Amino acid sequence: MDELIKELKIKLIDTLNLMDVTPDDIDENAQFVGGELGIDSIDVLEMVVMIEKDYQVTINNKEIGEKVFSTLTALAEYINENSSRFSP
Amino acid sequence: MGEVKTALGQDDSLPRTHQLAIQAAGQAMSGCTLPPDAVILGTTTGGILTTETLLAKGEKRPEYYQYHGLTSVCEEIARRHGCTGPALTVSTACSSSAAAIKIALEMLRRGEAVRVLAGGVDSLCRLTYFGFNSLQLVDPEGSRPLDKNRQGMSVAEGAAMLLLTVEKTDTIIAEVLGAGLSCDAYHAAAPHPQGEGAYQAMRAALNDAGLSPADIGYIALHGTGTLDNDLAEARAVNKLFDFAPPRLSSLKGAMGHSLGAAGAMAAVIAALIVSRDIVPANTRCQKPDPALCLTPLTTPLNQPVAAVLSNSFGFGGNNASLIITPPGRFTCPERPAASRAWTIIGSSCLTGAGNKDKTMAALRLDQPIAGALSLAEISADLPARAVRRLKRLPRIALALAAAAHDDSAASNPKAVFMGTGWGALSETYDFLKRLRETEEQFPSPTDFVGSVHNGPASQIAIRYNSTGANITTSGGDYSFEQALLSADLSAADSEQPILIIGADEGHPELSPLFDKSISHSQNHPNTLVDGGGALCLTKNSKARGTTISPAFYQSADKTNVIAALLRSLDGPEALRADYGLLLAGIPASCREQGEAQLARFTALSGFNAPIIDYRRLTGEFATASAVATVMAVDFLEKGTIPPSLAGQGRSSLKGKGVLLLGLGRFITAVRIKAP
Repeated sequence: MDELIKELKIKLIDTLNLMDVTPDDIDENAQFVGGELGIDSIDVLEMVVMIEKDYQVTINNKEIGEKVFSTLTALAEYINENSSRFSP
Repeated sequence: MGEVKTALGQDDSLPRTHQLAIQAAGQAMSGCTLPPDAVILGTTTGGILTTETLLAKGEKRPEYYQYHGLTSVCEEIARRHGCTGPALTVSTACSSSAAAIKIALEMLRRGEAVRVLAGGVDSLCRLTYFGFNSLQLVDPEGSRPLDKNRQGMSVAEGAAMLLLTVEKTDTIIAEVLGAGLSCDAYHAAAPHPQGEGAYQAMRAALNDAGLSPADIGYIALHGTGTLDNDLAEARAVNKLFDFAPPRLSSLKGAMGHSLGAAGAMAAVIAALIVSRDIVPANTRCQKPDPALCLTPLTTPLNQPVAAVLSNSFGFGGNNASLIITPPGRFTCPERPAASRAWTIIGSSCLTGAGNKDKTMAALRLDQPIAGALSLAEISADLPARAVRRLKRLPRIALALAAAAHDDSAASNPKAVFMGTGWGALSETYDFLKRLRETEEQFPSPTDFVGSVHNGPASQIAIRYNSTGANITTSGGDYSFEQALLSADLSAADSEQPILIIGADEGHPELSPLFDKSISHSQNHPNTLVDGGGALCLTKNSKARGTTISPAFYQSADKTNVIAALLRSLDGPEALRADYGLLLAGIPASCREQGEAQLARFTALSGFNAPIIDYRRLTGEFATASAVATVMAVDFLEKGTIPPSLAGQGRSSLKGKGVLLLGLGRFITAVRIKAP
């Protein structure tokens, strides 16, 4: 999980062009949307595309989306549970 | 809903959007033998469906892309119907054609036209289809506006046109009594959650028409079927009508959402409603969402309606509401005549030399100004976090707006008008490239939102909380002049400051394909140049400074157009007395034509003060005239023209003004005068 969270932080910075942020600046348990990073609905959708592309995990419903994008940890857990990459 | 199935004719040389527009314009103009005085269309993507195919094939010949630009649709319609007046293109996303009707209405009220063909068009294309899908705004079961289980819109296509006239003929179907514009100034794609901008647009339309909410008999909702739009619009409607709105429905359950065409489509249906006493139902709403507190019509009615309120809201919070009534049902309020000149209280430009100070210093030192700054240079004064998602054009526009606003030392601008020849090319290119590379699997929602022509102007509105009108025009080499004209028509009485921007980005792949002037450039052949200019304007009578007013906008095809231009400038004598400098804009793609027009102008007017062929300085980009305007402001402030440009002994302006002429396919004139 820690590896995945670390990887997600790098992808997050890259995908959302957070040029002034380093992975260490990101608190994986902080509120993801509307928090300190200034992430909004378009960013979430850009992340959805990235997650589908890189992890083959689809998030296409508002309720699941809200849960999954509550924190970076929640996102990592969801990917971990649903991606074939992490299946035994 | 969805694809137009009617045969569009055999003319495959034209993109689908143009063909749709031709069909609708033909219907609207049938029965009218006189040409319209102006054509004003709203569209979001122009000929992009064809462009997408060409790009995928790797087509590199510019002539194949001649119908890409938004303006090519409007100019094609104007040409076919013999219109030699303005061909204006409004691109404010899904409110484009409703905003176009507002500008047409003001042009008619002003007495600048007797007949205007106004409307909108958009064809289905990969950009919008996959773009809205990437935003998860498309309902897989088809749009169900206002329904409890709605999941989004249906992307559709279409064209709708209205022939508007001030003549009292016996064939009048309906009246456009009023129209209102507003901007959410909230988010690039999501509506203001309380529908504040939607409320303001409806309120402005009522004021414009001189009606109260009680006069409205039916509301044609924007009602796209997305969760956020329908909720925000419901809140706005309930606020305006105090939870007791008249009959209402969304037409988009039946027709889908034809984006730039949707506002005109609703206006045409509103005209049918008031002329045929039919009230349409809210198709495909099974169970109204109780959270909306609205009761849409479930079956159509046969009843007279005194006034229809029709809503159109777009990306960037660009809102427009129209009020359409039976002919003669209401009397429109008297309007004071607008004074023509705006006072310039701030200005800025960006060129290859840098900002306004650097550009003007370079001009006085006879150094080149054409070029393209790096993205880092453009963004130097912009907050990094706020622009992280923005590519080249929105950054140029924001930098220009910030500098002009700071220069004005005035309060925040109320309204924003932006002209751009080609829009956000980086976002458009990147979106289509990734779409192709991922075999249509992973389009970027960020690039889609950024690709709309009105993206930059809505970013400016967000930055300055500019909740008034927010209009983006795209008229090729005359885009800045169109923005100025639109501002003059739709913000005529603005005591508060407004911003007018003209900007384009040079894109290494797309600009040489789209803008023919780049390959024709003599001084800077095949060099990528870009930039733009911005003005902060007011009509506050206490403001002192240089003034600006649009004076002329006609097609070069008009008979004796140069003589008409001279007449509009009060004749040769007044021209020679009023102006100490002529800034001539001759796009390289029409150099021969433009030089002949200029020669005719000087021969007819006897104008013998300095003439600057400014594109030889700025290089070739569609909104170079915005830079020229800022040059004029600077020269007037200093009272002199740089000698290297004016010629020795001719650099004093002697208190006279500067005339900005646009030449080539259209002839435009803008008066810029010293205080």
